[in-house]
Amino acid sequence: MQTRPSFRLILISILLAGQVRGEEQRPRAPKAPQTDLATLRRIQTDVQKLLPQVRPALVAIQTGGGTASGVIISADGLLLTAAHVPGDPGKDMRVILEDGSVTTAKSLGLDKTTDAALAQLKQREKPWPFVKLSREVIKAQPGEWCFALGHPGGFDKSRGPVLRVGKIIKQTANSLHTDCVLMGGDSGGPLFNFTGEVIGIHSQIWENRDQNVHVSMAPFLRSWEAMQKSQVIKIWGVGAGGYLGVATVMSDDVELEVADVIDDSPAQKAGVRAGDVILSVNDDAMTDQQQFTATVRSKAAGDTLKIKLRSGGKERELAVKLAQKPQEDSE
Amino acid sequence: MTSAETCARASGISNASLELRHSFTLRKFVIRHSAVLLLSSFFALADTPLPTLPPEQRTNGKQTLSAVSPLKPLTLDCTARIESVLGRPICTATIVGADGYVLTKASEVPDLDKARVRFADDRTAALREVHREARLDLVLAQAVGITGLPAVSLGASKPLTLGQWLCSTTDAGKEPRIGIVSAARRAIPGTGAALGIRMDEKTPKEVKGVRIIGIASESPAEIAGLQENDVLLNIAGEAVAQYRRVHELVNKRQPGEVIEVRYLRKDKEETCRVRLASRTKVLQNWEGEDFANGGISLRSDNFPEVLQHDIPLYPSDMGGPVTTLEGKVVGLNIARVDRVTTFALPVEAFWTEAQQWIKADRHPPKAVLVK
Repeated sequence: MQTRPSFRLILISILLAGQVRGEEQRPRAPKAPQTDLATLRRIQTDVQKLLPQVRPALVAIQTGGGTASGVIISADGLLLTAAHVPGDPGKDMRVILEDGSVTTAKSLGLDKTTDAALAQLKQREKPWPFVKLSREVIKAQPGEWCFALGHPGGFDKSRGPVLRVGKIIKQTANSLHTDCVLMGGDSGGPLFNFTGEVIGIHSQIWENRDQNVHVSMAPFLRSWEAMQKSQVIKIWGVGAGGYLGVATVMSDDVELEVADVIDDSPAQKAGVRAGDVILSVNDDAMTDQQQFTATVRSKAAGDTLKIKLRSGGKERELAVKLAQKPQEDSE
Repeated sequence: MTSAETCARASGISNASLELRHSFTLRKFVIRHSAVLLLSSFFALADTPLPTLPPEQRTNGKQTLSAVSPLKPLTLDCTARIESVLGRPICTATIVGADGYVLTKASEVPDLDKARVRFADDRTAALREVHREARLDLVLAQAVGITGLPAVSLGASKPLTLGQWLCSTTDAGKEPRIGIVSAARRAIPGTGAALGIRMDEKTPKEVKGVRIIGIASESPAEIAGLQENDVLLNIAGEAVAQYRRVHELVNKRQPGEVIEVRYLRKDKEETCRVRLASRTKVLQNWEGEDFANGGISLRSDNFPEVLQHDIPLYPSDMGGPVTTLEGKVVGLNIARVDRVTTFALPVEAFWTEAQQWIKADRHPPKAVLVK
């Protein structure tokens, strides 16, 4: 369960590699076959085979703030949940197992920017039922079937845990979006792949029924050591390089265009404006977003970038000193 | 930029189930996390645009649903739509007799005289109520003058297991939807009906009545237009001066029933009609906690036994059939409960009785019974 020190870098490269693979696969995507009854039956058989193995690891969590879910991932009682469930490290939580038995856990560290959290069941000596988490984050691709467990609305012994089967709709840097429909009380519960590994932790919903967001395993793996030490992560992307503060899009002319500039960011202070076309960074011509991101991330906070822009037909050159990404101020 | 910004509301999903005092925590999380989503969308944008599964390939998208298209004669064709005389969809009916017998959710249609049925072949007919069973929230009716209907083929629900695929219909029986058995079958106790108000007996100017001091989100009271500081004077024909009595008068009724409420607003007496709902759901959604549920049924509890599934349906789909992948009807959708839950009455809970209602109606001859 220990993360290698260089893991963050590995993660980034996996993500990039995955995107390249995604590109290659794209031409095949429209030919997705019509689903047949045999496929549905196979999905059913697989889910039903995995359920007895994974279900005992699901727990209901009760805090002063309401009810939620969680999942045990080691025999000595390490628990994954969502950061907004405990809210802070060192919080005592009431934990209910599938059979209704009650125990307690203490929250360890949490990543408030991605909603990932670790907790520890207090009775460590007990061999707890547990599931494995998926270390191959990139495999959770759109179109893959998955299934969710949780205690929506809170623990209900006569009902038991609630199962949902669906598909992955989208993978982002830190999350998975699926059509496994979630609601209040599901937070912190597990999303599984078809080898019975945890690939997501239920986090939030939007209005539509196929807008269900799960924390992917990426932030857990990236921040594992910090979370085990009960640290709180409030800065996204530490180790991902210096902070510039621009969002880019590829323009209709296939140029790298600034879509948005974050307020008070180094980019804004240096005079980068939305609509500018980025021509080069440190004299390297910029042709796509991936190259631009990689270039910025390869520099640390404090480094200065020489950025050549074209704004309103005129070319200009700016020097931007990269900063640390600011902490969230909403706390 | 992403769907995130176009959505009206987002919410964290560790909710407070029954005790809703905690909703502040929930709201706080909403605010914090909409910020997080924006943040991550920025990073996603800075990288290559990530592929999103097109709607047709999702679990209830066209390509996936093509798997159940062979079931159409056993599902969609055996479903009818109950609509108002003006054509507004009310709920869905399951055809149980070739000679026009249909079953639907009783609390959705308190007055069948004001409704009609529309079949898959677009024929419409008036409905004659045959039997109403409040215990099951079912009503058996006959489409007047209709024959040659495709009735459902029934199976057994007992062998169903958690995770087994089920098929149902949405949009007045026009489209199939799939989902799974998502939790244990069980009885759902009832807690009676509610208006969705908090009350106080202190009224201005010593008026004899009960003042409303709080209204639940999307509750019967809110829908009827009642407001805070309205003073309730009379509930269903009885003058009220104690909040206990208001509760008693409302609670003993069936969700779906309509009662008349007389109240005082700014020294003026007014009357409104309120359609009651299950108390459990009114309490659980007091502050709109279950905001993204797509609508819930007025009556969502007090059933002797239900199957729970995760098929994405709407309240107007209730009354329709639930089948296995073999097209055998194993249940009848009876309540849309929350964002993740639909209850279906298992075949065993109603079919023996329903057959008796039909039999009793067929003999003696209909001429005697027609209104």
